[in-house]
Amino acid sequence: MRSRINKILAFTYRSYIFSKRNFYAFVEILFWPAIGVISIGMMGNFLSLSANMRAFLLTGAIVSGALQVTQVDVAYGLLFDVWSKSLKQTFVTPISHYDYIIGSWLFGLIRGIIVYVALGGFSMWAFHFYLPSAQIVVLSIIGIFLSALIIGMSVIFIILFFGQRIVEIVWMITTIIMLICGIYYPVNMLPKAVQYISAIIPITYFLEYFRTGYGFKPVFSHPLAIGFTITAVYIIILFLLLNIAHKRARQNGMIIKLSE
Amino acid sequence: MKKENIIEVRGIHKTYKSGFFGKRKTYALRGIDLDIQKGEIFGVLGPNGAGKTTFLNILIGQLETDEGSVKVMGHDVTRNFSNNIKTRMNMCSGNPNFPWSLNVEEALRFYGMLYGYSGKDLKYRIEHNIELFDLDKNRKVLYDELSTGNKQKLAMAKAMLNDPEILLLDEPTTGLDPDIAQKTRKLIKKIHGKSDITTILTTHIMPEAEELCERIAFIRNGQILAMGTKKELKKMTKTKDLEGMFIALANQ
Repeated sequence: MRSRINKILAFTYRSYIFSKRNFYAFVEILFWPAIGVISIGMMGNFLSLSANMRAFLLTGAIVSGALQVTQVDVAYGLLFDVWSKSLKQTFVTPISHYDYIIGSWLFGLIRGIIVYVALGGFSMWAFHFYLPSAQIVVLSIIGIFLSALIIGMSVIFIILFFGQRIVEIVWMITTIIMLICGIYYPVNMLPKAVQYISAIIPITYFLEYFRTGYGFKPVFSHPLAIGFTITAVYIIILFLLLNIAHKRARQNGMIIKLSE
Repeated sequence: MKKENIIEVRGIHKTYKSGFFGKRKTYALRGIDLDIQKGEIFGVLGPNGAGKTTFLNILIGQLETDEGSVKVMGHDVTRNFSNNIKTRMNMCSGNPNFPWSLNVEEALRFYGMLYGYSGKDLKYRIEHNIELFDLDKNRKVLYDELSTGNKQKLAMAKAMLNDPEILLLDEPTTGLDPDIAQKTRKLIKKIHGKSDITTILTTHIMPEAEELCERIAFIRNGQILAMGTKKELKKMTKTKDLEGMFIALANQ
């Protein structure tokens, strides 16, 4: 057990060192999310939106900032090794996918919480943002950070399966997900066909649940139960897929290619 | 008395597929059979592209064979390379790559933690290897800023963190200045002399093989052309040294 914890913490430690040495990482943590929140907050003021409507929009901006920071940190669990061409060095050690994913996610959680608290605090001060009940906030945020884990794991799976050349496309897909999950609007504003895709994205449900705290009726019933259920299913499936991708990478030499 | 086999390889084949639908094939290994005995330094020699690194990557679990079987320490690792086996092995490559933002001490701490170490045990292993590989002056230097020789020392230090029973060295002195290469060879001998560690070394530097290896397999085009002690190989090829043996076998 102790050994497993050490392996997980090794990746948390590495993410911390990379973050400490990389100035851009510090900028990234707050700069873009802050730009998003300020833009949305100013737009809300300009349109003289009601308090709950403004909270609806700011929730999207704050959650999207925290989510992006955390999902990127999960993906860094593999990407740091890909960029340093040290993937082979890491995979010859007795680790599992669980170790580097959870280790990186833990660091992402810390950064995500910092972003959430900072943006939330700033929004309260600058735009009279308010939070719903503690229960709604905590449960939604747990769901959002688990969703970040899913997105990060998907990125890792795609890199292990298809190689590094596809990374840019992966980041595009993660941005499109934000549009589909109703980041600044209820999902019933989207075309019917797109709503079917929204229904299979966990973030949709956690955003909807969060917004019930501002009096908005959810488009999907039982958002929290469905959100956590599909999140659990995705996490299990992704760990299985990662084992398949790793097996395939051993067969086709992808680990070696990513280390050269 | 014959020593126990620590690695048993039977009829392994490896083909790399590339191009559209994997139609272009490169045959890296074509039916390798060999046994490596516990505690020996076994050399895998051969020209560039012979399949040496592919062979080592299979032994360390980073590649899977298409055919054949691999047994390490009595365990069949052909399809499933367990973490229990990984804990007892390690690898050091020439021109190594490590995370560029970590300094020497941090890199050793990171890899030590990956083997499950923590606290005093981890600290001892880091300090012991920093001392063993003369890295004390560079302990706070980032990997990216290390000289080639010190990068190689770090790779060796990392490879010794878990006191491996099997150590794979893939051209460990490639690209090093002669004096540093000589020091690296001394370190390999020192490590081997201290413990019963089984070492598998690939190289195409013949004096290195002459100095370090007890038995040698010569690979060309993914096949073993000759295998035996240095004396046996020289006798077989009617040559005086391994350089002559290499040229004779490479042009066979």
